[in-house]
Amino acid sequence: MSAPPAPAATAPPPPRTSPPATGSTSAAPLRRRRRPLRSRLVPYLLLVPALVPLGVGLGYPLVRQFVFSFQEYGLAQQFGRPAEWVGLDNYVTLLSDPYVWGVIARSIAFCLVNAALTMALGIALAVLMTKVGRGARITLQVGMLLAWGTPVLATMTVWQWLFDSQYGVVNWVLAGPLGMEGQRGHSWLIEPLSFYAVATVIVVWMSVPFVVFTVYAGLLQVPEECMEAAQLDGASSWQRLWGLALPMIKPVLFVVALLQVIWDLRVFTQIHVLQRAGAPTRETHLLGTYIYSLSKEFSIAGAMATIMLVITLVLTTAYIRRMLREEEA
Amino acid sequence: MKRVRTRGLAALAVGMLALTACGGGEDAAEAGGESGGELRLWLAGSDTPQELRDHLVESFEAEHPGSTLVIEEQDWNGLVPRLQTALTSESQTPDLVELGNTQSPTFTYAGAFSDISDMYEELGGDDLLQGFVDAGTVDDTLYAVPYYSGARAVFYNKELFAAAGVEVPTTLAEFTEVAQTLQQANPTGQPGFSGFWLPGQDWYNGVAWLNSHGGELAVEEDGEWTGALSSPESQEGLAEVQELFTTATSAPRDADSDEPWIAFNNGEAAMFSAPTWARWSIDLPECNKGVAADDESEAAKALLDEQQACNEEKTGIFALPGLEEGSVAPVFSGGSNIGIPAKSGNQELARDLLRIIFSPEYQTMLAENGLIPGNTEYADALGDDVYAQAALAAAVDAELTPPAEKWADVEGARILEDLFQEIASGTDPATAAAKADQLITDTLN
Repeated sequence: MSAPPAPAATAPPPPRTSPPATGSTSAAPLRRRRRPLRSRLVPYLLLVPALVPLGVGLGYPLVRQFVFSFQEYGLAQQFGRPAEWVGLDNYVTLLSDPYVWGVIARSIAFCLVNAALTMALGIALAVLMTKVGRGARITLQVGMLLAWGTPVLATMTVWQWLFDSQYGVVNWVLAGPLGMEGQRGHSWLIEPLSFYAVATVIVVWMSVPFVVFTVYAGLLQVPEECMEAAQLDGASSWQRLWGLALPMIKPVLFVVALLQVIWDLRVFTQIHVLQRAGAPTRETHLLGTYIYSLSKEFSIAGAMATIMLVITLVLTTAYIRRMLREEEA
Repeated sequence: MKRVRTRGLAALAVGMLALTACGGGEDAAEAGGESGGELRLWLAGSDTPQELRDHLVESFEAEHPGSTLVIEEQDWNGLVPRLQTALTSESQTPDLVELGNTQSPTFTYAGAFSDISDMYEELGGDDLLQGFVDAGTVDDTLYAVPYYSGARAVFYNKELFAAAGVEVPTTLAEFTEVAQTLQQANPTGQPGFSGFWLPGQDWYNGVAWLNSHGGELAVEEDGEWTGALSSPESQEGLAEVQELFTTATSAPRDADSDEPWIAFNNGEAAMFSAPTWARWSIDLPECNKGVAADDESEAAKALLDEQQACNEEKTGIFALPGLEEGSVAPVFSGGSNIGIPAKSGNQELARDLLRIIFSPEYQTMLAENGLIPGNTEYADALGDDVYAQAALAAAVDAELTPPAEKWADVEGARILEDLFQEIASGTDPATAAAKADQLITDTLN
C-alpha cells in the first residue's frame, strides 16, 4: 500500500520453453508448411500468461521507479503539479552523502552475516535431522514449520515482548533467576550493535527452517551406495559430509545461499518493527527502512531503490553466473 | 476488490450524470444532493466517542434523505502514507478527512484539500483554535479547520504524594524537586520506580521545558526554516529535561509517550503527563472491581462507575507549572484538523457535513467528552471538574509544532525521538541539539 517501489530483483526470467513438436517436422512436413504461422505462434502464446503478470507486477513498478529517479516527484506532483526532470540530481544527492554510504555498508554487512549464520545453522540442523530417530525428527520438523509458518508481525510482537526493557522475559530471567541485577531495565535496542544482534537473532530464527528443509531434502538424494563405499574406504563421518555429501548437493546450497543473500539484503519488516519498539531510528536504518523513510519524495526513494537494485545485482551476478556454469557442466 | 469495483461504477455513473446535466448546472447539483449515495468520513484513532459518531450519521442522513454517511476509523499509525495514496485517487478518496494538526501542512501545501475560505466565518471565525487554523492555511487560503485539541496535564497519585511528603508543585523548578523527592522516597518499594514517568523518546512532553524557557523547535526567516534547538533558551530547557531523565525517572530510554498510565497503574510511577482524556485509562489495582470486559449488565456498569470514581479520587491532576509561580507551562498541544479532499466527488455534501460538525450541538458534545472543541466558544461545556480545569489551564498557552510545509517529514524521520533519547542516554545537550538542528534544517528546506 504505502511501501516504496521495491526493487524486486529476485524473480528469475520466465523459463524459455523450447518449441514443441520438433519431432513431427520430418513426419509431416506438408502440414507444417500449411500452418507455419500458427505453430510458430503457439509457444509465444503460451508465454503470455507468465509474461503479463511479470510485466504488470514487476516491469511497471520498476519502470516507474526508474523514471521517478530522474524527476522531482513528491506529494505535490501526486496532486497534479507537473514533474520536473532533474537528470542525475537525485543520485548525486544520495551518493555524496556519507550517511547513505554508511547505510549501504551496514546493510551489506548485516546481509552477509545473517546469510552466513543462517546457512551454517541450517546445514547443521539438516544434517542433525538425517542422524536422529523418527520421533526427534518429527518434533524438529514441526517446530521448524511453526517458526516458518507464523506470520511475521505476530512473531515480531512476541520477540518485542521478549526483549522489552521493562517487562521483557529476557531481562526478567537475567535479573531474577540468574542474578544479573544490572540487566533489570536493560535496553536491548538503544545501541546499534545490540540492536543488530537482536535483529540477527530474529532474522536467522525466521529463515533457518527454509534452509533446513531444502538442504535436508537435498541430503536425502545423496545415493546411499556412495556413502557406504566411502565408509568402507575408511572416511570418517566428517569427511563423508564435507568431502562427499555437501559437494553432491552443491547446486542446492548455491540456490539457497543466493536466496538468503537477496532476502537479507532487502530485510524490512523486522527492522522496521524493532525501530518502532524504541531504537534510535537514524542510526539503525538498513536499505529497506531507509528507502521507506524517503518515500515521501518518490523521486529520491526511487533513486535509492535503483541503487539498491544495482547492489543486489553486483552481489549476486558472479554467483548466478557460476551457478549457470555448473549447471551446464 | 468488490468495493473498488462498485465505487468505480459509482464514479462512472456520476460522470454520466454530470455529462447529461451539462445544460443545467442546477440539475447536477440536485443530483449530487439528492442521490449522492455514500459519503465517507475518515476519523483518525478512537478519540471520537461512538455517541458522537452516531450523532453525525443521524443528523446527516436526516438532512439528506437518500444519502448515507459511512464513518471509517483510520489508525494514527501510518496515517500519512495512507492519506498520500488515498487522497490522490478520485475513486479511493474519502470525502472528509481528519488528520493530525502537525500533518496538515504537508497536505495543504500539496494541494490535497479544497479551498474552504468562504466557510471560515460560518464555521466559527476567530473563535476557532487559531494555531490549528494556521496549520490549515496556505497563503491566506483556508484548507483545513480545527476538529479538536487536547492539552497535556500531569496526573499524580495522591497517596504516593502523601507518603513522600510532597505537595503539588507551583513552579517548573519545584516540579523537578518534587519528582526527585518522589524518586528517592520510592513509597511503593518497586524496583525501577519513577518519580515522574518520562520515557527516553517522549519529546511530546519534554518539549514543554524547551518552550517554557522560550526555546523553539525551529524558526522561520525569509521562508527558510532552521532548527533552533541550539539556541540558549532551548538549551536551558533541554538541560532541565536531562536532569529529569537522570534523577527523576526510571522509565526505559527506548519507550515513547504511548500508554504512560501502565507504569502508573502498576505503582511504578508517581506522576505522568498525558492529554486529559487519559483519565479513562487509569486503573489502580486497589480500585479494580474485576469486571469482565464483555460484561454489559447493569450491575457491571454500576461497578465500573464505582471503580472510575475510586480511581479519580486517588488520582490528582494539575497543569504543568511554568517558570513563574502561578503560571502554566506552554505544553505541547495535540489535536487534529479536518478538511475536504480536493479529489472528492461530493464537495457539497462534504461541506454540509462540515457544517454539522461545527454546529453548536456537536461542538458542545465534543467538549462534554473532554475534548477541547475546534470552536472555543463551546469550551465551557468541558465542565468545571478538575480535569476540565486542568485541560483549559493547559490549553491557554499550548504550543503547536512549527507550521512548516515539511514538518511531518521531521516527525516521520523521528528526529526528535532520537534527540530526546540521546539526551536521556547522557549525551551533552549541545552536541545532540547541533546534530538534530542540522537534520531539521535539511529536512524542512
